[in-house]
Amino acid sequence: MTTGEMWRRLIFFFRRGQFHRDLEEEMDQHVAMKAQGHLDLQEGISPGEARNAAQREFGNTLLLREKSRDMWGFRWLEILLQDLRLGARTLRKNPGFTIVAVLTLALGIGANTAIFSVVYGVLLQPLPYRNSSRLVVLNETTPKVGTVSVSYPDFLDWRAQSHAFSQMAAMYSLGFNLAGVSQPENITGDAVSPNFLSVLGVRPLLGRDFEASEENPGTAPVLLLSYALWQSHFGAERSVIGRTITLDGRGFTIIGVLPPNFRSLDKADVLEPIGVWATNNPSVTDRGDRGDMTILGRLAPGITLTQARAEMDGIAGRLAKEYPASNDQFGVRLRPIRDVFAGDMRPALLVLFGAVMFVLLIACANVANLFLARGAARTKEIALRVALGASRSRIIRQMLTESFVLALLGGILGLAFAIAGIHAMTRLIPMDMLAGASVNLNGTVLLFAAGVVVLCAFIFGLAPATHATKPDVQSELKEGARTASAGAAENRLRGALAIAEISLALVLLVGAGLMMKSLYRLLSVNPGFQTDRVLTMEMDLRTQQYSKVPAIQNFWQQVLNRVRVLPGVESAAVGTDVPLTGNHSRTDITIEGMASSKPGNWPHPDYHIISPGYLRTLGIPMLRGRSFTDADNKRAPLVGLINAKIARQYFPHEDPLGKRFMPGHPSVKHPPLWITIVGVVGDTKLYGLANPARLEVYIPFQQFPDRDMNLLVKSGIDPAALIKSIRGAVASIDKDQPIFAISTMNQLRDDSVATRRLTLVLLGLFSALALVLAAIGIYGVISYSVVQRTHEIGIRMALGAQHKDVLRMVLGQGGKIALAGLAIGIVAAFALTRLMTSLLFSVSASDPVTFGGVAVILLLVAMLV
Amino acid sequence: MGQRDERQKTEIPPGTLYMLILKTLANGAMHGYGIAERIHQLSDEVLQVEEGSLYPALQRMLIKGWVTAEWRPSENNRRARYYQLTKAGRKQLGTELSEFEKVVAAIHRVIETA
Repeated sequence: MTTGEMWRRLIFFFRRGQFHRDLEEEMDQHVAMKAQGHLDLQEGISPGEARNAAQREFGNTLLLREKSRDMWGFRWLEILLQDLRLGARTLRKNPGFTIVAVLTLALGIGANTAIFSVVYGVLLQPLPYRNSSRLVVLNETTPKVGTVSVSYPDFLDWRAQSHAFSQMAAMYSLGFNLAGVSQPENITGDAVSPNFLSVLGVRPLLGRDFEASEENPGTAPVLLLSYALWQSHFGAERSVIGRTITLDGRGFTIIGVLPPNFRSLDKADVLEPIGVWATNNPSVTDRGDRGDMTILGRLAPGITLTQARAEMDGIAGRLAKEYPASNDQFGVRLRPIRDVFAGDMRPALLVLFGAVMFVLLIACANVANLFLARGAARTKEIALRVALGASRSRIIRQMLTESFVLALLGGILGLAFAIAGIHAMTRLIPMDMLAGASVNLNGTVLLFAAGVVVLCAFIFGLAPATHATKPDVQSELKEGARTASAGAAENRLRGALAIAEISLALVLLVGAGLMMKSLYRLLSVNPGFQTDRVLTMEMDLRTQQYSKVPAIQNFWQQVLNRVRVLPGVESAAVGTDVPLTGNHSRTDITIEGMASSKPGNWPHPDYHIISPGYLRTLGIPMLRGRSFTDADNKRAPLVGLINAKIARQYFPHEDPLGKRFMPGHPSVKHPPLWITIVGVVGDTKLYGLANPARLEVYIPFQQFPDRDMNLLVKSGIDPAALIKSIRGAVASIDKDQPIFAISTMNQLRDDSVATRRLTLVLLGLFSALALVLAAIGIYGVISYSVVQRTHEIGIRMALGAQHKDVLRMVLGQGGKIALAGLAIGIVAAFALTRLMTSLLFSVSASDPVTFGGVAVILLLVAMLV
Repeated sequence: MGQRDERQKTEIPPGTLYMLILKTLANGAMHGYGIAERIHQLSDEVLQVEEGSLYPALQRMLIKGWVTAEWRPSENNRRARYYQLTKAGRKQLGTELSEFEKVVAAIHRVIETA
């Protein structure tokens, strides 16, 4: 097509009104001239006859006009505009129908878009790494605990011996006290192998990356800043490169800034080379020390995850044989990096996505029913158009356009709902679960919404349109009377839609019911401690002044002294690894007198270093013996507490009090440190309400001081009110000491069930919505069929039927639909709730009580309607 | 002067309609009816242009820019739409004429030698 041609076509399009009039007039003139020609050549015929003859010869003027117009090629656009205008006009003329339909669709489309935005952000969004599908996160595993961190010597051996991975990098999670800011604070950081960024395929935004030599102990302290930290603390100034900041009392030189979209697995604020961490660090050579290190690996080209797993299993096996003391029964766990980011939320999100799709289907079914009702009213209009020569596909196309306009309106309103929904959801999801995912209305989500709109238009538009233009429906109508058979097909369709709605609603209700039962059971679990009115916060002592033990103990003791006298404080204590904070420390222990078994079978409890008052503050019950007092100091004999699980497992027939254990195992290197058991305490759900209790030991902080501890405060008043006075108390001891991870135990407990709770809330919302829509749907079907059958009802009553007979007939129809829907729904629910099992807690996926209860509810609703 | 016989309904050979219309217009601007009449006359009433083919063809020529159209007063004191050949149209006419002649000559050769 030349430019001239394009230009001419465009001009035609914008002037087509005038063009059509010109063409009409031109053809009129043509016929007139033809008639004149007849008149001239044949004497004796009238002008009227001449005109008729000329017209006949000319042919179908209208058709020819259209054919000529079509040459210009904008027919499809004209038709579309025409259909859109007609559709909009029809919708305007039926405001009730339009509003109900648009609202219904908006709810369905909006909910879907909102859930999809979360699904996309958490599960689908491409990670900001090069070829992220080739990245694998490696951990060690032990049958005693499950997944654990990796020790540094193991990492070095893995790296040296593995061929499946072209690169490996270590990542050690740390925290730092930042000095030199208005309020002392604690920031997170990772010590990483120098090739960490290159394994990910990321380059610093400013400055330089780490160098290979910065892996060795003795490396000068340098740092890469996260983009967020650069903005918040350094004003995003480029001059930050080369500046020094003080972390843990040491000076670090800033050598670079990370790019803004960088996502680390643990939201690190800074990165330091692992050589800095390795300096003077005994963990570097201790193969049994599995602190907080995870390994990142990039699969070599052509290697699959299965092959990598096989190789790593082999390497772990060799290490287990070579170093049984530290590695017996330790394996390797490989996970694609995507799973580590999304993992916990994936099952819940998928269930929710399925659920919200069901809601959409129900909404579409309702709108389809509305369309069917309208279609029945428009049959005369359609019959007329068919008579005028419109093809069936043309009419269907026009009705589909109308559906599309409706869907579009629903979609636009739905977007507004989606924005509100996304806002609400992001408030309900804990920050660290999102792990930096961006959940918002971005391009992909909008594209999804558009796709849903189009899909809806087809789902609820096609069936009614096809039905209304069916030739047998048309012929029945043209004869005037609406016989029973014309309505039968339609009624079957409506009935089928209603049955489908009921089934879908039932599945959703069952899902919600199961979740509700799960959450109830979960929250009823006795955690082994009390969470009411307990405040928790963490402090890490890192500066030079705390390098000696007396200084550490002195600090904690002073904190306890000053906090205990604050108004409103019932009790205060310090301890490490408070339940539900996600921190754990574990060690092997040897129990005196127990036969020394294979290293893999040694008891491996969690240990807590606590102050007197800890058990009271957390409400952990004392079962036997006594807890710690101030008399248990470093001059006194070493004492410890065990929990009931250890007592059951290792002292089943004897009194544990007075027996002894020691951390680690006796060897030439470590002189035995025997600890006498003075008490037995209750088990706690240390790893979360859904997980079983573990082995736990407690030792006094005066005998084993620790620099990183949590302060626990039980108060008679609202805990949050105490924060300020506690800060003041700590500041009066050491003004540069940061306090962080401030929370209440109640909040921690709620966060630990956050995913399940969110799933329940949303499932409940969706099933309520589905129930309402399904009820509307049934109501529509039954009331419409009653209207239809007024004729029949009238005859029956004339023949002697009573009111109750008619009622029974109508109810019977509703009942049949409800029962069919229930039956199908129960089967479907049975099959589908299987998919939810990972979300459920101590509830079977086919819990009969839930199924039964829901069935009863639905039956009631159906009857009421 | 007699009754006009039923017009011969000989079809225009495919592909030559445009050429015929362009050639007719080469002699001067003409309206649709006039074009059809002229072709009918000049061909000794052998070739009959159906309106059903004429108008779409005229539209096509307008799109391609081979003709332009304007309203002028017609013979019977009304107005008609007159089509005028453009420079591009003249060029197209020349191309189609030479193509046609090439084809006709080839057909002749086949008929005469076979």
